[in-house]
Amino acid sequence: MTGRQLIMDFPVTATSHLLADYQARGGYQTLRKVLTTLKPEDVTKEVTAAGVLGHGGAAFPVGRKWAVVKLDDGQPHYLCANADEGEPGTFKDRWILEHAPHLLLESMLMTCYALQVRNCFVYIRGEFDQPYRRLQAAVEEAYAAGYFGENILGTGFACDIVVYRGAGSYVCGEASALITSIEGKKGYPRNRPPRLTVRGLYQRPTVINNVETLSNVAIIMRMGAEEFRKVGKPKSPGTQLVSISGHVNKPGVYEVEYGYPLAKFIYEDCGGVLAGRGLKCIIPGGISTKVMTAKDIEGVTYDHKSMEAAGSQVGSGGMVVIAEGTCMVRLLHVMLRFYHHESCGQCTPCREGMGWMHRIIERIVRGEGQPGDIDALVRISNANDGTTICGMGDAAGYATVGIIAKYRDEFEYYIANKRSKCEGRLEVETAHA
Amino acid sequence: MSASGRPEALDPERQAQRESPINAPNLPSMRHLQPEFEALKKRYPAGFQSSLTLPCLRRIQEVRGFVADQDIDWLVEYLGVPRVQIEEVLTFYTQFRREPIGRWHVQTCRNVSCSMRGAERLIDHLSRKLGVKIGETTPDGRFTLSVVECLGSCGTAPVVMVNDTYHENMDAARIDALLESLK
Amino acid sequence: MPDFFINGQPVHAEKGETVMQAALAAGFYIPYFCWHPYLSVAGNCRVCVVEVEGEGGGSSWSDIACNMPVSEGMRVLTDSESVREQRKQTLQFILLNHPVDCGICDKAGECMLQDHHYAYNGEPSISTVPKVKATKYVELSDRIVLDNERCIVCSRCVRFTREISKSHGLAIQNRGDHSLVRASEDGRFNTDPYSDNVVDICPVGALLSRQFLHKARVWYLQATPSVCPGCARGCTVNLWHRKREWKLNALDPRQNTEIARVTPLENPAVNGPWICNKGRDLGQVFGRPRALQPMLKGREVSPDEAAAAARALISESGRPVALVSSWGANEELTAFKQALGDRFTCFVKRDCLPAAGEVVEDELLIRADKNPNTATAQQLFGSAPLTFPDGTDLVLVWGEGFDFTAVPRGARLIVLGSYLAPENGHADVFVPISIQTERAGHYTNFAGVTSHFAPLFAKPRHVVHAEEFFARLTVTAGIA
Repeated sequence: MTGRQLIMDFPVTATSHLLADYQARGGYQTLRKVLTTLKPEDVTKEVTAAGVLGHGGAAFPVGRKWAVVKLDDGQPHYLCANADEGEPGTFKDRWILEHAPHLLLESMLMTCYALQVRNCFVYIRGEFDQPYRRLQAAVEEAYAAGYFGENILGTGFACDIVVYRGAGSYVCGEASALITSIEGKKGYPRNRPPRLTVRGLYQRPTVINNVETLSNVAIIMRMGAEEFRKVGKPKSPGTQLVSISGHVNKPGVYEVEYGYPLAKFIYEDCGGVLAGRGLKCIIPGGISTKVMTAKDIEGVTYDHKSMEAAGSQVGSGGMVVIAEGTCMVRLLHVMLRFYHHESCGQCTPCREGMGWMHRIIERIVRGEGQPGDIDALVRISNANDGTTICGMGDAAGYATVGIIAKYRDEFEYYIANKRSKCEGRLEVETAHA
Repeated sequence: MSASGRPEALDPERQAQRESPINAPNLPSMRHLQPEFEALKKRYPAGFQSSLTLPCLRRIQEVRGFVADQDIDWLVEYLGVPRVQIEEVLTFYTQFRREPIGRWHVQTCRNVSCSMRGAERLIDHLSRKLGVKIGETTPDGRFTLSVVECLGSCGTAPVVMVNDTYHENMDAARIDALLESLK
Repeated sequence: MPDFFINGQPVHAEKGETVMQAALAAGFYIPYFCWHPYLSVAGNCRVCVVEVEGEGGGSSWSDIACNMPVSEGMRVLTDSESVREQRKQTLQFILLNHPVDCGICDKAGECMLQDHHYAYNGEPSISTVPKVKATKYVELSDRIVLDNERCIVCSRCVRFTREISKSHGLAIQNRGDHSLVRASEDGRFNTDPYSDNVVDICPVGALLSRQFLHKARVWYLQATPSVCPGCARGCTVNLWHRKREWKLNALDPRQNTEIARVTPLENPAVNGPWICNKGRDLGQVFGRPRALQPMLKGREVSPDEAAAAARALISESGRPVALVSSWGANEELTAFKQALGDRFTCFVKRDCLPAAGEVVEDELLIRADKNPNTATAQQLFGSAPLTFPDGTDLVLVWGEGFDFTAVPRGARLIVLGSYLAPENGHADVFVPISIQTERAGHYTNFAGVTSHFAPLFAKPRHVVHAEEFFARLTVTAGIA
């Protein structure tokens, strides 16, 4: 057990995602309580008091984001659940979409009530076909049961939902690109100001929250902020769904209570490193988070403060385990190739910089690296830090700088010797090999 | 400047594609999908026609296999969006295509976790087995081989997406069996 | 009470202004590519970055000025160490895949990338990887050619077609460093009557005019302010022609008296920074074969003889009618009124009517009246439609666009015109007159705004200036 379970607190069966099972677990009763006994402000107050942070990577306090939306301002508000989940190594929102879609829907209904949202959206990445079908089926169940549409539960509250499918673009996981995509255009992120909570979808106040973040709303409203705060840590209340993959024996999605010892999680709960190898490092939460070596994770608890103190972040919860003997140069190449492919091309540093970095590391990996290449990668990374329209440029920079900081020797070796220090290895022998 | 001194024609690839029989004007129309699109509108707020661009394109591609020039013309008329918006969308998102591909689109993830669990070998294997390079279609029109970025299934790496379906925990043997089963 | 500070100086900002707008208005220059005063903010080039000092001991931060709202008391630095460093880096990024083929690029000499590079970077590219190749010399339309390698994807052209001309004719396709500006496939850019403005606003040599392509280096040219006579909007323009000191002695000397290109002369009261494509082709309008010699029924004479003959016709005429040109300058029209307004029954002639396929009128600039000075002409001579009174025995036609078959039987004909035409040889008196590019003058547009044009070239030898010539046609009692 990786701490208290709030989301993954039921056994997954062939029917556990269906409305009947969800209701049997108590689902939608809290919605009834909220719609019939609470005012919209009460929901926001509770969510704020719970101190829940965003689970998409930025860890922004949810209540604070919601508070910017002015109630009764005479204009439509919109809510979008971010189910784009494109961050490499991250597949934990998918668990909710496939196994607990009604938890998300009930949470979204409460959020819409809190923010006076008449129309909400789930932006789901185009590739997630099976999760889309599960979610869409859940939506139809919810409509049939009267949880969406007009006059919900006889309270006069009305809400419609659209599950909007993306079409293959990582940058559409960025909030402003996401809503531009929902507007039917290419996913170009937007400059701020204005904040999306002031002018977002079709220039209206819009709240975008990660799927897991929203799923916490029903939980908070059910157990109350005070009880919620008893889970996790003071600065990191609640839990985090962690998707773990890579050179690990038991990959998958786990719900980890904040404050849980990180090393224990990896070595025990996740079965440790493949083929009995030593741990080289982990990417803790999405590939832009700074890698943590085996030494770095000692004594670290899985919560925001502790991870930051250790020089990294909780991030998106997408954890990748990297075994001893893995070539970090080749790994960075995979990442930079990815960023280059996904750059939207709008702003100068990222559009040019991603290609630049990719071409440099490709040359290194080919055995044609030049002495100035490492510094060039770092310089380009720094030139993308805080200078771009969205966080993608920064992200690529952080990944690069983080890996070079810890494994500069591998890069120097590759350049000097025209080959990898680790035989170019990305895989680790398994029992079958 | 080309040798003749005349400026080169716009996007020769696109020119060839436009002239190919694939995009012939006598392709069947997709307008019979209009009632579906009208039904979609019901859940959207008023004034959101532009938003229907992506769902309509996806549905048309689902039926036709790609988005034809006439489909773009129709959507411009039906949704009232500028043609450039649709042209941009079709080139920006990786899942949209303006020409047909093989019956089975074999999309192999090449990102971090998949590469760490054998994706590179899998891609080589596929390329050799199908006898095509990445991006190409087998001569019998059955398979198109692509590499894609993270599919959000890293725990069951390596992952191959064939059309809409994820095939997880793949290896050479399993992919061979899968290909065999796809007619 | 200052609103905020730039480089330590107090600056006032209007409500809702960005730092960029307030800074430029106050005379501080912040370099930019994608920002344009008449287009929406794109904020993608990242060159206009400025530093803002932290308040109350907090750390400073930087961001783009074009999207930065002015807040009371903020302290902005436009040239700090960090700003200079960031700008350099951004320029290096732009340089990364730029072909730097200034040697064959028309934009050289008026290129924002050149200018900013010299001012703010000054170093060669630090790249060690090959440049990304892209399509060069793409026929974006009949009038515009595009070089994607030079393009910095600032989106000014796309925003122009979306927000100003509203043709939605341009798009940026693909993504990342494969992004390419492309014309929409329905050809709307080709029929956009304002398409050529994208050449002006393109900060680099990506979008170029096909008619100007490789014709001249811009530093051999000078711009003379003028007014487009294409319609009653009267957009102010710059007519570019060879500088005197760069006169060509060899090659074709006609190049010395040709208009190389036409660009807008920014005018907030009339056309802002735009003109329509018709104005771009003024070189062809003014470059048509000229009538160079006065004639009497086709026989070449001197201007004095022509004046005398005309005076004779006027003095013997019982019913002279004049068709006054709506292309006449204010000065010319006034002179005509003074000299001949009492003697002649005058009608204002619309020299030009909309041609087949031409945009008649739109919401941006184009007016249905295809003449530059109908306003002054009608103010002086009324707006009655032409009807020849009974007994018309002399018709004076000034300017173009008259149907000579309408001349009443038996009436004599005096024609004052600039261009070669068959009718010139049939007129009793033909006098060649100067065109707009050969004199100074003013037009008044449909809204009453008067704009000035200056001369570019000397008039041909036996051509007269109409303004002076009209006085020579005055017939006072008793003097022939």
